[in-house]
Amino acid sequence: MIFRQGLFIGTCVFVAVLIELTLLSRLGIPGATPDIVVVTVVAIAFAMGPVQGATSGFAAGVILDLSPSSDTLVGVNAIIYLIIGFVAGFWIDPRDRTLPIMIGITALSTSAAALGTAIVDSALGGDRVNWVEVPWITLSSALYGVLLSALVIPLIARLSRSFLAEKSLS
Amino acid sequence: MFSRRTRIILAVLVVASLSFVILDLRGGDGPFSSARSAVSSIIGGIQRGAATIFSPVTGASEWWSTQVGQSGQIRDLTVENERLNSALVSSENDIARANQLDALLRVASVGRYEVTPAEVIAIGPSQDFAWTVTIDAGSLDGIEEDMTVINGDGLVGRVLKVYNSTATVVLIVDPVSSVGGRIAGSQEIGIVSGTGRQNSLEFQLLDPLGEVNPGDAVVTFGSKSGRPYAPGLPIGEVVDVTGSAGQLARIATVRPYANMSQVSVVGVVVKPPREDPRDSVLPNAPVVTPTPTPAATSAPGSSNEKETAATPAPSGN
Repeated sequence: MIFRQGLFIGTCVFVAVLIELTLLSRLGIPGATPDIVVVTVVAIAFAMGPVQGATSGFAAGVILDLSPSSDTLVGVNAIIYLIIGFVAGFWIDPRDRTLPIMIGITALSTSAAALGTAIVDSALGGDRVNWVEVPWITLSSALYGVLLSALVIPLIARLSRSFLAEKSLS
Repeated sequence: MFSRRTRIILAVLVVASLSFVILDLRGGDGPFSSARSAVSSIIGGIQRGAATIFSPVTGASEWWSTQVGQSGQIRDLTVENERLNSALVSSENDIARANQLDALLRVASVGRYEVTPAEVIAIGPSQDFAWTVTIDAGSLDGIEEDMTVINGDGLVGRVLKVYNSTATVVLIVDPVSSVGGRIAGSQEIGIVSGTGRQNSLEFQLLDPLGEVNPGDAVVTFGSKSGRPYAPGLPIGEVVDVTGSAGQLARIATVRPYANMSQVSVVGVVVKPPREDPRDSVLPNAPVVTPTPTPAATSAPGSSNEKETAATPAPSGN
């Protein structure tokens, strides 16, 4: 079962990273790049739980950090996404899983990811962060997070139900 | 509060990512250079495929992303975008690509740069505040670190890391990028640094009394043996100057010729020209004089301006 979960998480996260780097970042959209990776991590956390959310956040961060076209320190995105995945999975109330609440948490998560990257990067001595741009990047990533989550959360929920069908019984 | 298993998994993940950061922060050829190249070869290969699949979409996006700033229209335009005939889009995409290659060839041949063409297949997310892209040429194509990357409009960036079939390029607008620049037609040199915004660079003259005016073109000064920057490549046009002559903080804002958010076909300068092409590569430079014998242009570069003055301005340009 752990193997199946790992396979599911790995595939989802990998596809999300690919879509983000080859499609979304090339659209030339103003502000932040629509952060489908964070949205996927949060969706997995909603569908499967905080530990799975944290694991997928870690995996997504490491893949994103290691992929070409990124020049960040390995582990920065990993720790930010890990925390986001865990908090999102822990925060969601199993009795109140309405889409607006989940979308709200996702928007907070995407903006937290943008802000977190800026803070961690400058704390580690990176001189790339342009603080004038940070509020705009944070806001726009929340906006794109809302748009993406309306698609991604139901999709991941369905996929995880059908792919991990036996798991929900145990 | 949490089960024992949860705590252990969390602790392992947190410790792992923190140690990754610390190990990578040490710099140099840490344990991640091999991991990076392994992962990059895999992801880079898949990115090539994905970039081909997505190319109609990303190509079409160039049309509506010119509306940057009118974010209210984005959704309308997305809908409009979907209505576009996909065959039309892909043929337009091919034409645009061919035009970009033509422009690239012009720059390369005028300046006598030896370039290897490549295409951008992935762009780093803007949340990283880094302006880095992946191109589909790597060490197998003769790409090495610190080579200059250009496109048909001018300087794009330099090669940061090289893998087998892909390479990471840091664009000149990246905040850590700085290029030695020279004002075309004069000897004023300075440093062009990225600001992190796609359409502005900062140009600081080394001589505080030097003259710089809006409209001046800035070209690369060139580094030793053409790395990381080959000489004579157009960088951009001065649009604004703050501070007056003699002030220390005298900074000119330069708009790059190359559109950084939409670079697609680029060329990597594998061999810089033997001599500085001076200002001859600039987009509307009258320096491209129809000299009867091209071989005779081996005169020192400084004679270029004189030639220009003597020749009637080519109206076709």
